Amino acid sequence: MILEMDRVQIWGMKKYLEQVIPILHNFGKMQLDDIRSVPDAMVQPFSLTEEMQSEREEVDILIASINGLVELFSSLVKSEVQAPLTKDDNIQEIKSKVSDVTSQVQYLNNRKKTIQDELISLSKYNEMLNVIAPVMPRSSKKSGNASIRALVHTSQMRAMNMLAQQLKLMTRGKFEMISVRVGESTNAIIGIFPLEMISQVENFMKNEKVTQLILPEEYAYLSTDEAVQHIGKKVELDHQELDEIDGRLERIAAQWLPRLRTWQLVCKDRVDEFEAYTKLGETEYTFTLFGWIPSEHVAELREIFQKRFSKDVTVNVIEIPKELRETIPVSTQNPDAVEPFENFVTMRAVPKYTDIDPGMLVAFFMPLFFGMMVGDVGYGLLMLAISLWLSKKNIKGLFGDFFKALKWGSLWSILFGVLYGEYFGNLGEMVGIKPLWFSRGDAANFTTLLIMALAVGVGHIVLGLAIGIWNAAIHKSRNTFLERGGTLVGLIGLFLLGFSLLQKLPDGYTIAGWIVLAVGLVAMGLSMGGTGVIMAPIEFVGVIGNILSYLRIAALGLASVFLAMVANDMAGMVGSVIAGVVIAVLIHSLNLVMGMLSPTIQSLRLQYVEFFRKFYEGGQSAFSPFKKRINVNFTPSNFKEMNKE
Amino acid sequence: MDVAVKALAAAFAIGVSAIATALAQRAIGSAGVGAISEKPELLGSVIILIAIPETLVILGFAVAALILLR
Repeated sequence: MILEMDRVQIWGMKKYLEQVIPILHNFGKMQLDDIRSVPDAMVQPFSLTEEMQSEREEVDILIASINGLVELFSSLVKSEVQAPLTKDDNIQEIKSKVSDVTSQVQYLNNRKKTIQDELISLSKYNEMLNVIAPVMPRSSKKSGNASIRALVHTSQMRAMNMLAQQLKLMTRGKFEMISVRVGESTNAIIGIFPLEMISQVENFMKNEKVTQLILPEEYAYLSTDEAVQHIGKKVELDHQELDEIDGRLERIAAQWLPRLRTWQLVCKDRVDEFEAYTKLGETEYTFTLFGWIPSEHVAELREIFQKRFSKDVTVNVIEIPKELRETIPVSTQNPDAVEPFENFVTMRAVPKYTDIDPGMLVAFFMPLFFGMMVGDVGYGLLMLAISLWLSKKNIKGLFGDFFKALKWGSLWSILFGVLYGEYFGNLGEMVGIKPLWFSRGDAANFTTLLIMALAVGVGHIVLGLAIGIWNAAIHKSRNTFLERGGTLVGLIGLFLLGFSLLQKLPDGYTIAGWIVLAVGLVAMGLSMGGTGVIMAPIEFVGVIGNILSYLRIAALGLASVFLAMVANDMAGMVGSVIAGVVIAVLIHSLNLVMGMLSPTIQSLRLQYVEFFRKFYEGGQSAFSPFKKRINVNFTPSNFKEMNKE
Repeated sequence: MDVAVKALAAAFAIGVSAIATALAQRAIGSAGVGAISEKPELLGSVIILIAIPETLVILGFAVAALILLR
């Protein structure tokens, strides 16, 4: 059912504005209009005060910080839990806690980065020292000897040999040099010489611009073997610390992620309030607000404002201006069971305010057609089990709606399965279960199946046209009334003609049929204006095509029943019982999956294309009230308490 | 012979219309998926567009049924 909407104007003293907005936010049943889009509004748009602007900026920054933390923590902890709202969840408290968490995370991340950088450099040293260590001469380990390590390009090796000769002369033959290839174009040079000559050798190397391999300070005075050992230990300790940091981050994530999710919504709610202010109009002492409320809630809001502000803030229902009639937001109200089908309707288009809400009709016909197509007790029971199991998983979105709709479809499938006598195809028939109506697998019943599908089509289309005619009459839309009425009359004429030609009616009905058909076509043509002469017959043929389209109920049903029979026959043809069962299970599983998807789409299409076109326009915007994102149950009796909080 | 010709005619009626539907759905489906990736709210319209050519194969089925029932 589409709810009746009232256009309201809230007027009040500006000093109460900062109380009015949170009350409306908690009330959650009013859609606010931007004052700039209100025709003939004689007030200027509200400007946020400097204080409000700076708070807004503060909240925007806070949201960015929270988003960053949520993104980081979501990668560490797999949880969708959201913490309940508490009294302390106000912007200032949130800001201080987010700042604490951010600094903890920043410290840990910085430490992690430092360790990771250290590990990279240590691994490089380790790699080189591991190459050098095996070739270090024994003389390097003798007390009184010192060593230098350097990395040089292979092209410099000749010069390096000359330098080694000079160093030998300088140390009176006590300099020993070893070179090892450590890369494609790099050689490691190890020089051993008496300890007392270390400064001379180092100065010489420096003057000759040979870059020494200098280890970090803590390893600089260790021998190569000792350095390798120490670096290995350090790498191990670093990995341990990294694990500890990851563990701490995970613990922080698990502790704060649910709260951060709540805070995200609290902050967004605050931003929504600032947005609401910008939609107001103001004078020096007053403010004005325009919007939409479902008629049934206007009195409730009036009562709240009356109690709180007496006559200083008033709620007035005003006439809907002509230019806004096409933009009235649409809100529907249906039983919970209809909700998934309502979403299917919205997926096509949000209803127009003047439309009849097709949610209930879709909730009845979509599962019915699904059941007529599947029509098997075995598949129906399996689908029911699957949909009941998945409904516990709380799946959201399109798939959630699909499984909710499947539950009703499967019940119809079981009912039609009993009527068709189908239990996993012809398994029921094999054990002697008879159909209550007719068996789809029997070729003799082919005509009955087709007639059933066409009869359903005629009924559905006629119902659509009848709703269209009624709606056009209510809204005094002459052309729509003529078009839909003409189509219905034309169809009646066609049926009279058809039945009399098939000799199901007396001969006199042939002429009556022609006349009624002609009247219908003329009415359709009149509704279409100048092009009516050509367009009316084309449109009418389209309607006949729409009715024939319902043959898909028979076609899909036949495909399903024959595939099930193939599964049973193939299983019977195999000698082995196990192989037979495996084949049957595989083919029946395939049929089950196809049976869930295809009839859903085809059934939905019959609603969208064949049925909706007869009465449904759609295309209006959905009612989008100014309400809290985080669950707050608001009633007039508890709003005072909430505002205190 | 008569039965064989009827069966062949019915097979042609449904087979050719199925191929035509498949060709139409191939083009609409690929364009539709592209459109949904840009604007997910178009899902409803795309389902309709993809399902529209299926009327062809349903009409083929109706013709095949008429041939077999005559």
